Amino acid sequence: MLHILASLLLTPTADAPASRLAVIQPAPGFALTAQDGKALKSTDLKGKVLLVSFIFTTCSGSCPATTSRMVQVQQELTRQGQLKDGRVHFLSITLDPARDTPDKLRDYLKLYDAEPATWSALTGSADDVAKTVQDWGMWAKPAANGQLDHPSRIFLVDPRGRVREIYHLGFLKPAWVAEDVQLLLGEK
Amino acid sequence: MHWLQLSRRLVLLPLALLGLAALLVRAPLQAETCLSPFVKRLEGPEKLLYVFCVDADAKDNDFLAVIDVQPESPKYGEIIYQLDLGSAGNETHHFGYTDDRTHIWGCSLFSSKIFIIDVATKPEQPKVVKIIEDIPGKTGFTAPHSPYALPGRMLISFLGAKDGGLPAGLAEFNNDGSFIRRIDQPKEAPYGYDVAVKPDLNRMVTSSFTPLNNYKKPMAQMDFKNFGKELTFWDFRERKPLQTLTAGLAPLECRWSLKEKANHGFTNCALDHSIWVWEGDQSGKYSVRKLCDTGKLPADLRQSPDDRFLYVSCFGSNEIQQWDVSDLKNPKLASTIVPGVHPNMMHLTGDGKRMYITNSLLSTLDRANTFWVRLAHVGPDGMKVDPFFHVDLNKFKTGPARGHDMLLR
Repeated sequence: MLHILASLLLTPTADAPASRLAVIQPAPGFALTAQDGKALKSTDLKGKVLLVSFIFTTCSGSCPATTSRMVQVQQELTRQGQLKDGRVHFLSITLDPARDTPDKLRDYLKLYDAEPATWSALTGSADDVAKTVQDWGMWAKPAANGQLDHPSRIFLVDPRGRVREIYHLGFLKPAWVAEDVQLLLGEK
Repeated sequence: MHWLQLSRRLVLLPLALLGLAALLVRAPLQAETCLSPFVKRLEGPEKLLYVFCVDADAKDNDFLAVIDVQPESPKYGEIIYQLDLGSAGNETHHFGYTDDRTHIWGCSLFSSKIFIIDVATKPEQPKVVKIIEDIPGKTGFTAPHSPYALPGRMLISFLGAKDGGLPAGLAEFNNDGSFIRRIDQPKEAPYGYDVAVKPDLNRMVTSSFTPLNNYKKPMAQMDFKNFGKELTFWDFRERKPLQTLTAGLAPLECRWSLKEKANHGFTNCALDHSIWVWEGDQSGKYSVRKLCDTGKLPADLRQSPDDRFLYVSCFGSNEIQQWDVSDLKNPKLASTIVPGVHPNMMHLTGDGKRMYITNSLLSTLDRANTFWVRLAHVGPDGMKVDPFFHVDLNKFKTGPARGHDMLLR
């Protein structure tokens, strides 16, 4: 029900602004648990620019680089003064809820020096996480090396709840992401 | 520095190094060189080869053939499954994987349909999950040509406008097939064909062919003055054209150098019988020049993973040439094979050691009477045709089929 409601609220309108960042799709909703143990819903973040990644804390593949690069974006936005008014928020959604408890995720953010005031790492029940992962068009499956195989995508969501860019590690320069965030913050 | 911070950094450092090492180890094992750089690489050697097939007389449904390519398999080199696409006369042409390699997008040049095919759920028995119809109504273009993966979405180059004429252009779709936007080409480059992105340089290049109204005619009636010569260079993030240059007639495939930050690339000019190179300078401007003359009608172009060789299929002279382009001032013909009549599409494995080959170009241009899939091995002494690998595409219940593009799983 929450997802349907969120999708209705976030459906793009026909008068989307002409921008180099096209409206790719409505950002799916979610209702999960953050690293502080408190519930966090997508509607709690309404009006913010979001940078959303999918990781797991024991990943030795692309996740460390993804989180590290997102921290660089957070630092760049902090340097530019873009994070002062809480209009930008970072999300790391686990692909491995069985292992990634709120405590583990809190430690994970500390490990990467992520500033927790503007960064939520999310977990939840296996069903809730699986639904969120699927709704975002993501997936994770066991790999031969014991890790999880998963796509490398980082989603940029505008204040109206629409995905406006999807980054790949091979095309994620912190300065470029900061420019994109500024562009979205400047839209009316 | 507080001891807690220090200990955290001591933990973080090996983890970051581990991640970096993993990325470095993976770097040479990237996906096949012809695919978008955003596509996941294949884990291990290929097991299946997918071939997009046109029913030769266009009376029966087009299909995707699944070929077993595991040398240890008792069915090695056999067609193990046919996916019926549900309609005829599409002129099924080019393939492209989504970024996560779970779905193939197959484009059709006559019907303008795009078939989205799930190859992850049951790779040996793929399934059509969606057919994007009314492409002209959605995009204003006809003849989707190159399906090119971007993160979480697909970029498609088109050969023409809604009425089958010009101008051509580009469009983006979600991975679920929803239309996102169209991208117009500059007026000075009205033709369309291929697209390729160089992410580290934030550059994209597009090339030129001829629109539906022309290539749908029998070859004798085609207007060979109605083909483009233009290459357009774009700011990729802005999707904004920066510069258009003139190459030889009909520059088709666009292949950026695979080396990071290397600001050059190659195209095969089919009606100029040559390969051209584009090069960017320090000021950001590009120039283009003929690199070498090739055999007749170079129809497809591929690259070795080490960026040293180009492979060009010369449809008109029945050969595939391997060019050493490590010195851009002095390209050298390294080896040549004749795999059969009118070789066209090639698909080089990610390790650069095997090349699968088909021999249909377009039903209006094909002159061969028999169609096949063959294999060449690539080694230090060049290419060699495998005499034991021959997939016959002529004995289906529906008659012969023209095999065109291929992908590996």
